[in-house]
Amino acid sequence: MARKISRRALATYVADQLLEGVALEPITQQIAAYLVESHRIKELDLLVRDIQTILAERGHVFGEVVSAYELSEATKKSIQEFTKQATGASDVRLEAVVDPAVLGGVKLRLPGKEYDATIARSLTTLRTRYKKA
Amino acid sequence: MSELSITELSKELRSAIQSLETTGNLDEVGVVLRIGDGVAWIYGLRDAGYSEVLEIETDNGIVEAFALNLLEDEIGAVLLGEDSEVKAGQGVRRKGSVLTVPVGPELLGRVVDPLGRPLDGGPAIKTSQQGVVERNAPGVMDRKSVHEPLMTGIVAIDAMFPIGRGQRELIIGDRQTGKTALAIDTMINQAKQKTGVINVYVAIGQKLSKIARLVDRLKQEGVMDQTIIVATSPSDPASLLYLAPYAATAMGEYFRDNSQHALMIYDDLTKHAVAYRQMSLLLRRPPGREAYPGDVFYLHSRLLERSAKLSEDLGAGSLTALPIIETQAGDISAYIPTNVISITDGQIFLETDLFYQGIRPAISAGLSVSRVGGAAQTPAVKSVSSHLKLGLSQFRELASFAQFGSDLDEATKNQIERGQRLTELLKQHQYQPMSVWQQVVSILAVTTGVFDVVPAAKIKDAQQALLTRLWADHKKEMDILDRGAKPTDDLLKLIDTTAKTVAKGFEG
Repeated sequence: MARKISRRALATYVADQLLEGVALEPITQQIAAYLVESHRIKELDLLVRDIQTILAERGHVFGEVVSAYELSEATKKSIQEFTKQATGASDVRLEAVVDPAVLGGVKLRLPGKEYDATIARSLTTLRTRYKKA
Repeated sequence: MSELSITELSKELRSAIQSLETTGNLDEVGVVLRIGDGVAWIYGLRDAGYSEVLEIETDNGIVEAFALNLLEDEIGAVLLGEDSEVKAGQGVRRKGSVLTVPVGPELLGRVVDPLGRPLDGGPAIKTSQQGVVERNAPGVMDRKSVHEPLMTGIVAIDAMFPIGRGQRELIIGDRQTGKTALAIDTMINQAKQKTGVINVYVAIGQKLSKIARLVDRLKQEGVMDQTIIVATSPSDPASLLYLAPYAATAMGEYFRDNSQHALMIYDDLTKHAVAYRQMSLLLRRPPGREAYPGDVFYLHSRLLERSAKLSEDLGAGSLTALPIIETQAGDISAYIPTNVISITDGQIFLETDLFYQGIRPAISAGLSVSRVGGAAQTPAVKSVSSHLKLGLSQFRELASFAQFGSDLDEATKNQIERGQRLTELLKQHQYQPMSVWQQVVSILAVTTGVFDVVPAAKIKDAQQALLTRLWADHKKEMDILDRGAKPTDDLLKLIDTTAKTVAKGFEG
């Protein structure tokens, strides 16, 4: 039986190929075939996250900004700048998501990292502290 | 030129600090993939360290867990709270620290859980210091050999298997043989004799009713003020049972490191090993003998190695350990008992047979041993108890042999009778630890042959009468003897005369 290839090794392979400019189709075909054959389709979402993390380490950050209301262009731009500075990445692509559940403030979701300045998070922290005391 | 480069350096440093500050709030986050049986499998958090505390964000606040399995693609973490709150998909953050518990004198008199949260309904515990739960044991140069006695107040132990401060002495035996009773008496003795030793009692998976009874008793005896109880019940998650002895040791170490003396009682390490086995199997670590994981020896060795007598440079504090192990049908060659026997500096073996013969404490003279305590024995007790262990072992041998024939020579008969008296003498009621002078006088009365005229059945009464008489008539001398120095000839003569007078009243 072939040895199980770790998800991280798979992700590194895909990220390397993408950065080398290899066309998307042959890679996806390869990976899809491997996942089906080794019964690991369930890990697909995690694999995509892993690829994102490795790409972020190589300077290409894909993330999302979650807020309760639509953000202004200026705010979006400053978040973009902040992300560039914080991650040191040259290529930052952020997607804006509106989610009323965060109540207020903003949450920046990057691969493997997060900046959470939402009211929902503050409330959770407060609740835990109150519970402990 | 050099000034210019310094200005440059300062500018560089400032900008570096600024960039550090801006990245400061960017937390590393992971996601709960699966959860069950108190173990959460987490995706992400690549920089998490072994035993690091993780915070899982649930709908009802943050639940803590600690990372124990660091795999390439996921982390296995054991929850420190209820797993009903945690669901797959919830975010996880690193706390950036390993587990710590509050330590300090504020904990004295309290009943806490392994995370230092009060269980006694008292106010929240606020200490100025925190102790690391997993800490390295003191090194060779930080130690001193065990030389001060830790009196248990139990004649059989103090005379035959003396325990020194900084020693690890295992209490081992089947269920219902009086293991916990020995430990509790030792705790009570610390208060009665005003030794200043702090007691830390760790209940690992013990019934809460038993802990409540223990607390009541300790309060009655006035011991609670110098005692910390770390309690876990069978309904607590295995992670808490696993942590309990380490957390309690951290609390005890505070006193050890501050030139004080503390006594740790781990009740019991069998349940601790079982809790660790449960965690390990759920974390999918390969099982070994009796399904325990491969590192079950290290589990206990690293815990007990933290008990030590510190060198003068470090304040000469000490941490003594009395771990308890429960055997099945007296089998001391099972996995966990042999492990802990080899780690500790001796063991007190309690036998079911003796217990049901009414010999309580049911200490087996042949199988019990104290490897380092001899150097720490109180000189007064040492001077009178040198042949006690041998005599008692020989008596038990002879007694079983004598069952088969009634024609015995005079010498053997005498030895058996002396042995019977000695056995009677070493019987001791629970919660009645004896002070040094009481032990010395009692042993002398039997070993010198003064009580040979007293029938074995009346030995306890004669002993009581002797102690009462001496305390009433010669309190000053007994106070001197109680300080522990070897008794003078005059004192020995005094005890001998009084014992003879008392013995006359009990002649059979």
